[in-house]
Amino acid sequence: MTEGGFGRPHDPRRIDPRSFKIPGLGQGWRVLALAVVALALLFSSFYTVDPEQIGVVQRFGRYVRSSDPGLHLRLPLGIERVTKVPVQRQLKEEFGFRTLRSDIRSQFTTQGHEGESNMLTGDLNAAMVEWVVQYRIVDPYKYLFRVRAVQNTFRDISEAVMRKVIGDRTVNEVLTVGRSEVATLAEAGIRHLCDQYETGIKVDQVVLQDVNPPDQVKPSFNEVNQAQQEREKLINEAQSEYNKVIPRASGEAEQTIQQAQGYALDRVNRSRGDATRFLAVYEAYRQAPDVTRKRIYLETMGQLLPKVQRKVIVDDQLRSVLPLLNLEPAKRAAGGVK
Amino acid sequence: MRAIIAVFAGFLLLIGLANTFYSVNEYEQVILTQFGRPVSQPVNTPGLKARTPFIQKIHRFEKRFLEWDGDANQLPTKDKRFIWVDAYARWRITDPLLFFQRLRDERGAQTRLDDILDGETRNAIANHDLVEVIRSSNRKPFSEGIDSLDTGGVLDSIRVGRDAIRTEILAKAQSRTSDLGIEILDVQFKRINYVTEVQSKVYERMISERRRIADRFRSQGEGEASRIRGERERELKRIQSEAYRTAFEIMGKADAEASRIYADAFNRSAETRDFYEFIKTMETYPSALDSSSTLVLSTEGDFYKYLKGSGKR
Repeated sequence: MTEGGFGRPHDPRRIDPRSFKIPGLGQGWRVLALAVVALALLFSSFYTVDPEQIGVVQRFGRYVRSSDPGLHLRLPLGIERVTKVPVQRQLKEEFGFRTLRSDIRSQFTTQGHEGESNMLTGDLNAAMVEWVVQYRIVDPYKYLFRVRAVQNTFRDISEAVMRKVIGDRTVNEVLTVGRSEVATLAEAGIRHLCDQYETGIKVDQVVLQDVNPPDQVKPSFNEVNQAQQEREKLINEAQSEYNKVIPRASGEAEQTIQQAQGYALDRVNRSRGDATRFLAVYEAYRQAPDVTRKRIYLETMGQLLPKVQRKVIVDDQLRSVLPLLNLEPAKRAAGGVK
Repeated sequence: MRAIIAVFAGFLLLIGLANTFYSVNEYEQVILTQFGRPVSQPVNTPGLKARTPFIQKIHRFEKRFLEWDGDANQLPTKDKRFIWVDAYARWRITDPLLFFQRLRDERGAQTRLDDILDGETRNAIANHDLVEVIRSSNRKPFSEGIDSLDTGGVLDSIRVGRDAIRTEILAKAQSRTSDLGIEILDVQFKRINYVTEVQSKVYERMISERRRIADRFRSQGEGEASRIRGERERELKRIQSEAYRTAFEIMGKADAEASRIYADAFNRSAETRDFYEFIKTMETYPSALDSSSTLVLSTEGDFYKYLKGSGKR
């Protein structure tokens, strides 16, 4: 408190008149100190609220007002304190896994979070359920002043509600068709408890991530899927065989029927032709029956006889002559009897 | 010297002011004690407050909902299954004076809550079957869309349910904490799970259950395939035989028709019949005889009769 400035020797006999006003401080330092205090007051009087935030102002601990994004004034020196709450930002909590690195290809880990995801289903089986809850802070007052450790509370709520919903379903429902229903019900349940606890949080969405059977059981679940595929395969194969054979058989049947119809046409037409021809010939024959008959007979014989190589002509009245002629033309040709 | 006194006095004044005025946060409530004895009413409103300095002591208590997270306990259910139950509760200090007298501080409250809530949870779990703790309604499992045979699990019906058990614990705990100046808002089961030994048994059961379903799928597939194959055989036979029948019906009809037409033509009179006989016989000869046939002919016959002489007639 005695120095009048660094590097300036202090002479007690020659008292600087200015040091009478503020003892122990030189003029320069006084100005500097005032400036620092003024600056400190100025800076602690202003605060900015980011676009996604709301500023909650407390005067001596009592909530007085909220301020929207922008530059604002407050009472300095800790009289008014500001807590900024990101009301516009969508926040999320992960259950059963954590995002290690958020990127185009995000990395996740489930290691060490099995306790969160392992739960019992209504048919007393186990399932591993991973989910995400997206939420926003809609009431900063409640968020800050109604519940302590809001995040923990929120996680507890989510886990309890999800287990309750899963506990009312079979493992099959949880793993397959029930997924969206589970998410919807969990959302409603979490929302209800958030309101009841006055957390000031609004749940936007519950998203079910991986829902799996426990690792030890997984292979047998896959086996079921395989068996299901196998069943489809067998059925499809049989069906394809069916499809290969039946249409062809139908075609072939059609062919048989068409052929029969062809035969029928052929038969009827020919018979008609034959009949007409017969009647025509008969008509001619009736004009001169005897001659025609003979002519036809002789013509036929004329056609017939040259074809038949062995002919025996017998005459009843020639008794002395052996009524045999040319029985074996083949032997004679070979040079036997001449 | 005067300056030193002034600074000292200012310092004292500051200390006095700091000991007189205190701020109460929005989420706090305060009790002032004088020599360990609570004085006046609890301070419930936030803001800047004053007290008698140096004598009165400030005790701050939370107004917010506080957490209680029980240890995961291994508990037996009524049907003798051992499970881990992890419950949580939300509570708050409603009467700070009573709270201060009975429990002193939050640590004391947590210990007392441990006793009460753990005990009530244990009782409730021991009085109910496991399924009652897991399920909360008697809803029917949604099976549409799942393969009708692949129900896998059935939901046993319950009489009480998770919510009712929870409410029961809550009610009992509330009645036991009412004279402690605290209020329990809610109790929930956070996690319920099988203990490790039981878990492996459960997994085994699940595996065998899945195997059963898989086997059923396979035999279903085989059965269905066989059915289709059988159907194929039947269909094939039907198509072929129907075609055969139709074809022969058509051909038979045609044959009959032809027969009728022939008969119509040939059967007009005795003369047509005779002529037909003759013509047909003549037509048949050339095809009935070939080069290997032997023909024995008599000169008495019409054809060779002229061999004996043409003028005999």
